[in-house]
Amino acid sequence: MKIAINLLPIEFTQAEVKRAKFIKIQTIGVLVILVMVFLSSLSVALRILQSQSIKSVQIQVSATEQKISDLKDKQVSLLLIKNRLAVINQYLGNSSKQVAMLILLDKLLPSSISINSTVVDINGEISILALIPDSQALDNMINNLTDNTQNEGKISQVSLDSLSRGKDGVYRVSLKIKPS
Amino acid sequence: MKKETVIKFYLTYRLYLFPVAIAISSLILIFLIIIPQLGKLISNQKAEKALVNNLKFLEVKAQTLDSYDSNDLSNKVSYVLASFPQDKDFGNVIGLIQNLTIQSGFSLTTMTISTATNKTANAQSYSIELEVVGPKNLISILLSNIERSTRLMRVGSIEIRNTISQQTVNISLSLDVLFAPTPASFGSIDSTLPDLSQKDQELLTTLAKNFTPVFTSENVSLPSRGKANPFE
Repeated sequence: MKIAINLLPIEFTQAEVKRAKFIKIQTIGVLVILVMVFLSSLSVALRILQSQSIKSVQIQVSATEQKISDLKDKQVSLLLIKNRLAVINQYLGNSSKQVAMLILLDKLLPSSISINSTVVDINGEISILALIPDSQALDNMINNLTDNTQNEGKISQVSLDSLSRGKDGVYRVSLKIKPS
Repeated sequence: MKKETVIKFYLTYRLYLFPVAIAISSLILIFLIIIPQLGKLISNQKAEKALVNNLKFLEVKAQTLDSYDSNDLSNKVSYVLASFPQDKDFGNVIGLIQNLTIQSGFSLTTMTISTATNKTANAQSYSIELEVVGPKNLISILLSNIERSTRLMRVGSIEIRNTISQQTVNISLSLDVLFAPTPASFGSIDSTLPDLSQKDQELLTTLAKNFTPVFTSENVSLPSRGKANPFE
């Protein structure tokens, strides 16, 4: 049987425990500082690398911008073509309201009617002076002009400004036709 | 004496002083170096990404512009400007209207040109008043020829009066001839390029078929007449 007796004074034991504890704290402290220094260096190094990368991209952007500046004439031509084509496309081959109304009127009026004058104003409103041989032709004309299936829904109003019948039995009519 | 006091103080409280010193140093490193650098790193990363995207866009734009043929583009510019010029082209339009009326079987009796400019949403116009005489059955052809002409014109008002013969008519036509000044700006370096669609190409082909060069004082060189030195 072994008996261990600690003969050292209590103050010495306490000092040793304190020393061991301090060494432990010192080690951890040094490790923390080293980690912090490493992280700081890493972030600075990354920033330097990033700045160099950005500079290199900026140089490439400047070079490409210069290239585009040299090709500016082509860009101007292209934009001018596109700009003009947009308007040309809107008008070319599309009939104006006035012409469309005149063509429609030509379809709707019976062939027996003799037109003295036709006026189409800028809003597409038509004024007609016509000679109509008989009441049947007059009926046909009014029906054609006012029937939505016949006039394709393009006429909103037909007004008879004057109507007279001569000794010869011919009707003289003044009409106004409003487009939809 | 003072140094000894400091050393004695440190040795007594080193268990607390050392961790405090480490914590203060770490906090200084974190707040003065790590956090600012990381913040800049993240914000610069966004800027770098935007810069790289811009570079890609510019490279594609430069390649696209490079792929266009300058002569082809200048021809296309001539076609569109002949159809929809940047200024009033009275001489060209007078010749064109004469041709169109003759082609449609009509004869032109009078033509009045107004110098006043009217403005619409996307174009300007000047008006031309025409008096033509011709067969009644060709009215629609005349109007169609005018509106289908590659030189942009719109029919404003129409007045048709029968003559005694009933087969021929007198027509008073008001035409709006369209033009528009060139836009003030043609985009910047980083503006997107317009794409010429299939429809645009077809329209350009139509314009090219009917293209007649517009002669102006700038592109016509008159031959010199007489002697260079009249005293010889």
